[in-house]
Amino acid sequence: MLHQALILSSHREYAQTMRLGLLELGHDQTRVDVEVDALRAMQLAPQQYELILLDTVLDAMDGLQLLQLLKNQSPASKFIIVSDSSDETSRAMAYQSGADFFLERPRTPEALALALEAIKGFFKPGRPDEPQQEEEENPVVNLADIVQMRCLSGDSVLLLVRSGQQSGDIFIFRGEVFHAQYPGKGGEAAFRDMIGWDGGRVRIRSIKLTHVPPRTIEVPYRQLLDKVEHAGTQGPDISQTGGELFVVSTETPSNTASLSVVQEAPPLDQAAPPVFPAPNLSQQGETPLPQVNSHWKVNLTGELIEGSQVAEPDRCAFITTFIYRKMADVAVALEVDYFNHMTLLGPHLQQVLVADNLGVRHAVFDTVWTTEEQRIQYVKWCCEQSF
Amino acid sequence: MNKAFEKIALIEGMIAAAFVSDEGKLVGWCANSVISPDNLCFIAETCRVILSANRAEQRLAHTGVVAFGERTLVFREGASGIFVAYLDSPTNDAVLEWLFSQVNPRLAAEGIQLE
Repeated sequence: MLHQALILSSHREYAQTMRLGLLELGHDQTRVDVEVDALRAMQLAPQQYELILLDTVLDAMDGLQLLQLLKNQSPASKFIIVSDSSDETSRAMAYQSGADFFLERPRTPEALALALEAIKGFFKPGRPDEPQQEEEENPVVNLADIVQMRCLSGDSVLLLVRSGQQSGDIFIFRGEVFHAQYPGKGGEAAFRDMIGWDGGRVRIRSIKLTHVPPRTIEVPYRQLLDKVEHAGTQGPDISQTGGELFVVSTETPSNTASLSVVQEAPPLDQAAPPVFPAPNLSQQGETPLPQVNSHWKVNLTGELIEGSQVAEPDRCAFITTFIYRKMADVAVALEVDYFNHMTLLGPHLQQVLVADNLGVRHAVFDTVWTTEEQRIQYVKWCCEQSF
Repeated sequence: MNKAFEKIALIEGMIAAAFVSDEGKLVGWCANSVISPDNLCFIAETCRVILSANRAEQRLAHTGVVAFGERTLVFREGASGIFVAYLDSPTNDAVLEWLFSQVNPRLAAEGIQLE
């Protein structure tokens, strides 16, 4: 329940409308202050407010700078950045500056209602008051609701979903479902199945995503959820039981994620082999693995899960993850999907990175004798392993 | 420099190209699409960081080729900065050689050596 909030905006009409909306979210004693002057707002004690909404552009100063100042003073408060534009750059900058939520300024009653609904999610009973924690509970009734709430909030999270004997992952990036996977299936089909698992009774943990995940689901989340609903995979049991979310507080998120990744790789048994096959031997696909100096694979959380002739596993995992994340930034700038493969050419070494939905494989070749055919063969081998 | 990039823009399959100096200055650029110079600069800087990270790992690299579906990002670090090109086609070693055989003389005319 909301007790005290501050709206910091030079748009008086919006501020008053939002104030009335926020008051409706609270109780009789709820107080919502409105301040139009940023410099005066800096004299306020932000600790008294559970929620602070501030514009990206204020009359006297940059709203994002003010956000950082206030956030330092009152890390427990929730901060919502309100912007007139909803482009990815503004959104990313807001989250980088410490915003808990990015909101495009609502211009219609419908948009205001949606915004208030999202804000309401911050003050649901039972939610731990830990805005800095990346792992948090989601006391929502079923998986579809969680996905909807996360997307509506523009979040970037990895949802680790468990139900009975099954487990899977859903990647939400900047408010859109990018990817879903569970052992044996990936993409939209996996998402559809997971939404229907056990009539919506799932265990779930969320981890904040720090990089752009590979994208296998192109459909906007609303359409995706509509399709799932109309396809009937979300059976009547969900609404009848109301669904329930159980939090697995003792599980280590990264282990869970890597477990899912290992389990999904088709050639691997439950007891995953720790190393690649020897060079020139075909494992599952038809293409033999070419001679390499070393090669390894990291999963989406940056852990090295397989490798051969890897001298310094930690450093290898780091550099692969580093390149992976940097190229994700480039993909965003180019407005394209994640890279398929990458070659780095040097005087002594050549490197090939191949990305799939589960991670990145990275090989190092000696330049002296490596031919283009060998690099192509490696890419082909990686693709066959992925399938 | 604009002259050089006017010609580079005419290279078959070229979507965008840029040269960013070691100081991070966008020395020249061209784009046959809506890719902004800011984005090109950002991409070049990111590629430079990748090459730098590899150097720190004793895996010296000067050229990178990244496949984004049917499109390809090519980058090459020279003595005074980094060149990036975004192409509307896949590439192989022959395409790469052909690309730089056209780019190098144009940049060299402006005093930039990529090799």
